[in-house]
Amino acid sequence: MEIRRDVFQAIADPTRRAILGLVSLQAMTPGAIAENFNSTRQTISKHIQILNECELLTQTQSGREIYYHFNPIKMKEVSDWVSQYQQFWNNKFDSLESYLNKIQTKKK
Amino acid sequence: MNKYNTFKQEDNFLIHTRILDAPRDLVWEVWTNPQHLKEWWGPNGFSLTTKSMNVEPGKIWDFVMHGMGQNFDNKIQYIEIIKPSLLSYKHFGESEDYSFTVSILFEEVEDKTLLTMKSIFKSKAIIDELNKQVNAIEGGKQALNRLEEYINQI
Repeated sequence: MEIRRDVFQAIADPTRRAILGLVSLQAMTPGAIAENFNSTRQTISKHIQILNECELLTQTQSGREIYYHFNPIKMKEVSDWVSQYQQFWNNKFDSLESYLNKIQTKKK
Repeated sequence: MNKYNTFKQEDNFLIHTRILDAPRDLVWEVWTNPQHLKEWWGPNGFSLTTKSMNVEPGKIWDFVMHGMGQNFDNKIQYIEIIKPSLLSYKHFGESEDYSFTVSILFEEVEDKTLLTMKSIFKSKAIIDELNKQVNAIEGGKQALNRLEEYINQI
């Protein structure tokens, strides 16, 4: 089975969100991106690959260097109905979680 | 623990998972008892009144959510009930096409409860359609508030 790479999967990971944050400010080379993290370059490169596959990043070649750019059009997808449904339930689960904590503390 | 908190779309399925630090019986209870539901089900700032609830296959949970100066009628029809591990229901949308079923699986994991919620739509096309509608409405940040209100109704 083919593994689907969608925007939601891509941004579910905090490192990938951080990468998006960086390149949204300026186009960057993989090396420059990796310098901002404690992870190995290989790990970061894997994250970049995923972001690239789901088109959240676009790349341009400048001499020998590859620069990654943020693709805001793709990011728009996450403000669609699905992401709102996701957020809607995440909020509900948060509220469920704190309610469960509350009633369990009472019992103890 | 956060690795259990996921969300993904697979075709016409939207799948949430969540780990809850509570025994499964209690989690079941807070999903099926109106006294508990009113404490957490409604969005922030909303209160909830249950008109009637009968947690049995084919039976209805009829409730009203109060918020933003309005009352929102809601109806859920239970489909399958296997206490304390499976709860599934139909959520009525604007029309039959937009209705969807939700199935929630409760599993015991290391003294906690793993919840897997699948929202199953008629087709992926319906989800795409909802996305398009939302994108069309959006236009700007201002629209988001109204959208939230809309989402809260469905």
